Amino acid sequence: MGEVILTMKGIDKSFPGVHALDHVDLEVRRGEVHALMGENGAGKSTLMKVLTGIYTKDSGTITYEGREVEFHNAKEAQDAGVVIVHQELNMLNHLTVAQNIFIGREFKKGFGIDDKKMNAEAAKLFQKLNIDIDPAETMGNLTVGKQQMCEIAKAISHEAKVIIFDEPSAALTESEIDELFKIINDLRKQQLGIVYISHRMDEIKVITDRVTVMRDGTYVGTLITKDCTKNDIINMMVGRVIYEDPKTQSSVPKDAPVVLKVEHLNAGRMVRDVSFELRKGEILGFSGLMGAGRTETARAIFGADPKESGDIYVNGKKVIINSPQDAVKCGIGYLSEDRKRYGIAVQKTLAENTTLASLDEYSHGLFVDKKAENEVAQKYVDSLATKTPGVDQLVVNLSGGNQQKVVIAKWLTRNSDILIFDEPTRGIDVGAKNEIYKLMNRLASEGKSIIMISSEMVEILRMSDRIIVMCEGKVTGELGIEEATQETIMNMATREIG
Amino acid sequence: MIYNTFTVEKGVTVAIALGGEKMEAIKNNRLVKKIGLNRILLVIVLLVMYGAFVIIKPSFLGYSRIMNALNYVYFLGFLSLGVTFVIATGGIDFSIGPVMFCCSLVSGYSLMSYGVPMAVALIISVLVGMAFGIFNGYLVAYWDVPPFIVSMASMNIAKGLASVFTKTQSVSWPQADADGGWFRNLVKIGEIPVGLFIFLGAAVICAIILNKTKIGRYILCLGSNSEAVRLSGVNVKKWRMLAYVICGTLVGIGAIFFVSAYTTVQPGYGDQYNNEAIAGCVMGGTSMAGGLASISGTVIGVLIIALLQEGILALGLNKNYQLIITGIIVIVAVYFDVLGRRRRN
Repeated sequence: MGEVILTMKGIDKSFPGVHALDHVDLEVRRGEVHALMGENGAGKSTLMKVLTGIYTKDSGTITYEGREVEFHNAKEAQDAGVVIVHQELNMLNHLTVAQNIFIGREFKKGFGIDDKKMNAEAAKLFQKLNIDIDPAETMGNLTVGKQQMCEIAKAISHEAKVIIFDEPSAALTESEIDELFKIINDLRKQQLGIVYISHRMDEIKVITDRVTVMRDGTYVGTLITKDCTKNDIINMMVGRVIYEDPKTQSSVPKDAPVVLKVEHLNAGRMVRDVSFELRKGEILGFSGLMGAGRTETARAIFGADPKESGDIYVNGKKVIINSPQDAVKCGIGYLSEDRKRYGIAVQKTLAENTTLASLDEYSHGLFVDKKAENEVAQKYVDSLATKTPGVDQLVVNLSGGNQQKVVIAKWLTRNSDILIFDEPTRGIDVGAKNEIYKLMNRLASEGKSIIMISSEMVEILRMSDRIIVMCEGKVTGELGIEEATQETIMNMATREIG
Repeated sequence: MIYNTFTVEKGVTVAIALGGEKMEAIKNNRLVKKIGLNRILLVIVLLVMYGAFVIIKPSFLGYSRIMNALNYVYFLGFLSLGVTFVIATGGIDFSIGPVMFCCSLVSGYSLMSYGVPMAVALIISVLVGMAFGIFNGYLVAYWDVPPFIVSMASMNIAKGLASVFTKTQSVSWPQADADGGWFRNLVKIGEIPVGLFIFLGAAVICAIILNKTKIGRYILCLGSNSEAVRLSGVNVKKWRMLAYVICGTLVGIGAIFFVSAYTTVQPGYGDQYNNEAIAGCVMGGTSMAGGLASISGTVIGVLIIALLQEGILALGLNKNYQLIITGIIVIVAVYFDVLGRRRRN
């Protein structure tokens, strides 16, 4: 570890209704890999967005290479040498690798673009990183892992001095992760400062030098990685929050009826021959890497996307589901991972969102029965403990956790018996997370059947009665909760299919 | 002078020059909250405009001026009410003006050249408008063709169809004392502005549809987030199409009021009313992004546009100034809408 290159001190940032960062500190040295850890909603991404100028801080100082700086946008940060490698890749699939790397600063020849020179420059970058990628290849033809390597090469080409990796391993197979670590080690040797955001405890131990932990938007502490245990880090992350006890065995009786049976479902590249059963009162966890096809499977079952083949049985009866309308009639409800886009109408009120899936029941003829609507909305505000000034509050003004409760209320109002929760706690702060867990357990015990898609291993192990693991569009394993461990799941999730 | 931008009921943003604290006090007044600051300001704009015209040109005070302005209000009002539903879904319809012309030409030509009874001619007008609504709505909702393209195309179709049908001749509707002239009673009987009552009645019905029924609920929700509504198991296509059908039908009714006031219709025109109808609508607080709409706002917006056009005529200015001013109004109104949305997010 060398000298300090970047210091963030007392960083404070509020959004309406949320104190996202409360005087957070972070220090990065040259030649170190610094892990930034914390649960979803702890404020890691917000901190990095403040650093790179996407958000403006309310107070605090950022010192970079000995000078106090304030970047106003990502470009300024990039030009100064602070670069983020995003979790979602920002690549243009129809361009070549080299064109992507030099986008916005192409080499010119006359009025045209000098592809030859760009390819040569890109090849030099790859050589420096020991990566084997053809710069003239079309980006869309590369695997997710290779695309990420390109993203790293792009960062290096900006003369980066600090690189931030935002959950880089979420979409990678095991061998790709090994390759990534090799590159990160190289970068460390070249005296770059590296911030590494990840949820995977094992990786943290392998690759990082120090760990800074955040919780609820506050700074908890910084540890030397080799001097601490996994449990030290977990305790710092979780802190006062007491979670639901993890399940050690399934709470579903062996003879519980099968409420949903999916057979040989095919839908595009991401859903290939998927079959499984869901029992009454069960929480069935769907685990896998990013891009394993879990969301696509859920959307195909729900009729949100077209399917090619496969049979679906609800309560033993074969059903045809061609649209969400059909699925809702069969008693299936889908809670999307992206609430704002797929779950709620943000400019509408809590009550209006609550009855969105069952407006027919809350109207006489064409007229909406406002009174009945408000009553049912209030009923679920009470029973789900939704925090809102009233049922006529616009949903946009509610926090993520409360918005999620509105979506749950929507499906409960509809009386849906099969609920598909896609990343139920994404973007929800730590305290509200456990409330959602409790709620899901309560629903299951009341006889609802739940499919839970989650990328958080801890969540999968804590909530599921049974776990289905997917990889590249296929079901690669099924585990009872008794036999499931992080290792067995990871093995199945990264099993490469020939 | 401090420029204040603020958001009021239904998220409508208005900016005016006023001291900060005073503004806060006005904003929080209960009555103001109930009516909506934006609508109060619009009424003030309307009155100030009227006052200004009267000061410049005292003859503006006269009854006939007001009646003239009202003639404009009737047909434009129906277009504006109609397009409010479409804009509420997040769509747009640039065909309303030419479709209105098409309605009155097809029905008028049937009346004058094929001798259909007046009552039938009026029904034809409404049906032609409805047909265009079905056409536009079907393409937008079921084929996913962008509304901008669909309505641009059907604007030309409406013009072409009207020209072909009338053999490119203008059509004059019967005078009040002629056979079938009774339809003019829809606009006024003696000096009583019957049209105003019909228009306001229609506005009330539209407000009820938009705010009290499933139709309005779904239209506004899908304007706010179409995908979320679809994933709630709602037949989004049907409701989206219905908005265009409502719009087309109102345009067909508007056509009747147009000919009642102006008698003669010429094929190949009508475009300018698109802009004016949309201006009336967005000025009233309906968001171009969809999801937010106000019928009462639309009504006041239409009154302002009509007053403007009558005022410009009275001042002896070229009609082209009106085009310029409505163009600017659309841009300013949409800009405030964009500002408001940015603040909310």
